[in-house]
Amino acid sequence: MATRYDVVVVGGGHNGLVSAAYLAKAGRRVLVLERRHLVGGAAVTEEIFPGFKYSVCSYVVSLLRPEIIRELDLPRHGLEILPLDGTFTPMPDGDHLWRMSDHGRTRREIYRHSPTDAEAYDDYAKAMVEMARFVKPILAMVPPDPLSLDILGLARLAGLGRRFQRLPRRDQHNLIQLMTMSAADMLDQWFETDVLKATMSASGIIGTFLGVRSPGTAYVLLHHYMGEIDGVFRSWGLSRGGTGAISEAIAGAAREAGVEIRTKAAIERIKVRDERATGVVLEGGEEIDATVVVSSVDPHRTFLKMVEPGALDESFLGEVRRYKLRGSSGKVNLALDGLPDFTCLPGPGPHLRGAISISPSVEYMERAYDDAKYGDFSRRPYMDVVIPSLTDPSVAPPGKHVMSCFVQYAPYKLREGNWDQKRDAFGDAVIDTLSEFAPNLKSLVLHRQVLTPLDLEREWGLTEGNIFQGELSLEQLFFLRPVPGWARYRTPVRSLYMCGSATHPGGGIMGAPGRLAAFEILRDWDRGRIR
Amino acid sequence: MRPDVVVIGGGVNGLVTSALLAKGGLRTLLLERRDRVGGAAVTEEFAPGFRVSSLAHTAGPLRAAVVRELGLAVETVEPEPRFFAPLPDGRGLALFGDPVRCAAEIRPFSTRDADRYAAFHLSLTRIARMLARVLEMTPPDLDAPGPRDLWGLLGAGLAFRGLGREDAQRLLRWGPMAVADFAAEWFETELLRAMVCARGISGVFAGPWSAGTTANLLLSAAAGDGNGAGSTVLVKGGLGALSEALAGAARRLGVEVRTGAEVARITASDGRATGVVLAGGEEVVARAVVSGADPCRTVLGLLDPALLDPEELRRVRGYQAQGMASKVHLALSALPAFEGLDGRDPAATLAGRIHVGPGVDALERAYDDAKYGGISRLPYLDVTIPTLTDPSLAPSGRHVMSVYVQYTPYRLREGSWDARRDEVGDAVLRTLEAYAPGLAGLVLDRHVLTPLDLERTYALTGGHPSHGEPSLGQLFAMRPLLGWGRYRTPVEGLYLCGAGTHPGGGVTGGPGANAAREILRDLS
Repeated sequence: MATRYDVVVVGGGHNGLVSAAYLAKAGRRVLVLERRHLVGGAAVTEEIFPGFKYSVCSYVVSLLRPEIIRELDLPRHGLEILPLDGTFTPMPDGDHLWRMSDHGRTRREIYRHSPTDAEAYDDYAKAMVEMARFVKPILAMVPPDPLSLDILGLARLAGLGRRFQRLPRRDQHNLIQLMTMSAADMLDQWFETDVLKATMSASGIIGTFLGVRSPGTAYVLLHHYMGEIDGVFRSWGLSRGGTGAISEAIAGAAREAGVEIRTKAAIERIKVRDERATGVVLEGGEEIDATVVVSSVDPHRTFLKMVEPGALDESFLGEVRRYKLRGSSGKVNLALDGLPDFTCLPGPGPHLRGAISISPSVEYMERAYDDAKYGDFSRRPYMDVVIPSLTDPSVAPPGKHVMSCFVQYAPYKLREGNWDQKRDAFGDAVIDTLSEFAPNLKSLVLHRQVLTPLDLEREWGLTEGNIFQGELSLEQLFFLRPVPGWARYRTPVRSLYMCGSATHPGGGIMGAPGRLAAFEILRDWDRGRIR
Repeated sequence: MRPDVVVIGGGVNGLVTSALLAKGGLRTLLLERRDRVGGAAVTEEFAPGFRVSSLAHTAGPLRAAVVRELGLAVETVEPEPRFFAPLPDGRGLALFGDPVRCAAEIRPFSTRDADRYAAFHLSLTRIARMLARVLEMTPPDLDAPGPRDLWGLLGAGLAFRGLGREDAQRLLRWGPMAVADFAAEWFETELLRAMVCARGISGVFAGPWSAGTTANLLLSAAAGDGNGAGSTVLVKGGLGALSEALAGAARRLGVEVRTGAEVARITASDGRATGVVLAGGEEVVARAVVSGADPCRTVLGLLDPALLDPEELRRVRGYQAQGMASKVHLALSALPAFEGLDGRDPAATLAGRIHVGPGVDALERAYDDAKYGGISRLPYLDVTIPTLTDPSLAPSGRHVMSVYVQYTPYRLREGSWDARRDEVGDAVLRTLEAYAPGLAGLVLDRHVLTPLDLERTYALTGGHPSHGEPSLGQLFAMRPLLGWGRYRTPVEGLYLCGAGTHPGGGVTGGPGANAAREILRDLS
């Protein structure tokens, strides 16, 4: 027997949940279908090893839009962000770089490495705030289509141009550099300390198949910087109970608004009749009818696997196939018997409470990329390591710890062998590299979970293991995301929409795509385009 | 005679600007530091009896409007095939101006690619035609766009829409893309991909996997005819003959061309450029000063820093202009035997550009070396044998091989270019040995120009062949810098007309022609 909903959301990741919540708040009857046994997509907390709760994939919050936190009243639904303070970069020569959110201390620390850079650091911070101020409204904007004759959209583009024009020359110049340069080149213009540049440039490569010297990475750096300056909401940090708690909070808000959520409900097919999406068919054959289908999964999965064959024309499918996913990272989660002891700053201490960045030099970062470029995982990878149990003791038994290592690069497509054969070698490379800086680590490991890009694809449905549902490269941003002409959450199939990270403004636990998509759907409803 | 305008540098763009200014009625004096005009487009004897186009070895080609307006008579040759790529395994791929012939050439490698080629050629031609209009534009004034700017933008906008949805979307998407992705979108044959990539990385300190390299390919396609095979325009007598012809036209139009006249500095009073002082102390006063030299040399080398806001100076210092290319010239006792000819006529097949770089990864690996300050162990080479189309460049029966070598970074991590010059020649011979076995035995003489030589002898700051990196942030209204994109500088009366301005490098005369138009607008 077929049940009927106003909206069926494909995928219960954070964007799907956000979209569902907004649609339900507007009075629609919404059903979210999640393939796995729990909601959250890549933002989940799972107890893989007894007593240890891993934020399995995504592990820090920095980008979650403040308006979503406010509008969905997430703190009331259990969201609590615990500040994560500082970035500690151990160096092989026994030195280190430790930046904290206390500006004065960070300045002194940088001064220790280079007085000039300490000076430049202030100017840089100011410049980035200006840049973020310019870019931020774009994050909350539905991308206009420059090829359409939509006057409103074109006016919005012209408005962007005017805003740019009004910027002081210096900011215009900085913005152009950010949009076009490599993170390393851009930072070269500001700083001289190698380890500082290396650590800062890391934000420019996270989740992309690019190196710190690849043009375009300066933008990704800004994309990640955006969260850090949301000072008012202090949204940079860890979520109490792990990243899954964020998804739970959003799901709570969604349920309260009337959203129905079904887990273990994998979708086989999106039904299309008369160029209109009419519902979904679950694996096992159950059919669910809906006026609108919203897909929060990536375009490859949505259009190449789920939409009924024949419903889409070949040129659109060609564009979808060209959309680059190219996963480049893996994740290693460790259950530890104690705390790692870093040679360059021994003993436990506040330096372990923030992010630990394995990025000793720009060349180290770039060489890690070289391995991946030719189809191998980095022998000595870049890593962003967090020990969440120091901030949130609820995720590990007393005295024990959880260590989350984001590892780059791990290319989805290996030149030789496959990930099932290489998973352990990859895990070993991670532990070996970390042990160079913290030699006691090996003896502390009680359990390790190694996630390769293939695992991210299989288990979390991230095609090619891309954590952003598609590269954040210039040709896949804004009105080009995911494909030219379809950047406005709509698709060639009427009443089928997209709301995932593959749409503007892209990945990270931001929620913005889900929210903007919901607004566009509601607008179409108001205009009578959805019946 | 007191000139209205003094032009610094007798390179192609300086010559074009001076000739057009004189044609527009301005008394023009051109000052060239060296004993000959041409800048990076010169023919020089590198070994007794052997002459070569020292730096640039093919013409951009020169913009047709410039040739017409100046009534130039230059004998050019466009060899077919335009582009030949041998492989060490004995196969070879030749690309002709005729897409049908190209498809036939490609077919043994891949029928899919052969079938795709016509669409590739057409799409590129259409986009190049649209972009050619942009190359001729003066970039708009972003601060206070006037009616002319808006008109120009509207025209470009309409041309953009005129492309049709498919090509317009492609252009938007391709511009910022890595050329390796662009090539892979069209073709599966590794060698063909590498030939496409070569056009994106040539003259850029970036590998085929670097974002923005497709823009370089599109711009060079727009400067040429947009042919899928690219363009190969050789000049009889070498590129020096083209420069001489330009100088001749300039003189006929009334330009005073002085060689051996090095400018020591630009003079100014009340914040306005008033002329120049030569190295010997002679002072020249003029209404305007136009520099064909690169932006760094002009601003940091010739101008009193006090004339510029410190912030502007900081931006000029941040201008990206690290050279990556060298030239190697070989005097050969005979025509070398190349692999991959496969029964083709050697003299005809080797007369265009010979591409050496067997695959995209090979090109990227060549870049990897340079990224860390090293010389590519197996560099990407763009080779011409100009004596096949112009035997006068060498003694009878002998040949000249002109090799453009990439990557050789201006800033070496170890050692100096003076000490390491020979390594470039060795790398070239080592690389070529796989494609033209026995080549080393034919070498009578060899001559190497490193990025440092490009800077010292040809005054290219940082040894950059096109006066600064043609990266996305340094194109169009942002070339050389935002606010300087209209051939004018913050110093009143000081103009730029070289490859450091829109539309950038290549022997096209484009920047020079655009600059002349703006200067005439200001001065008359």
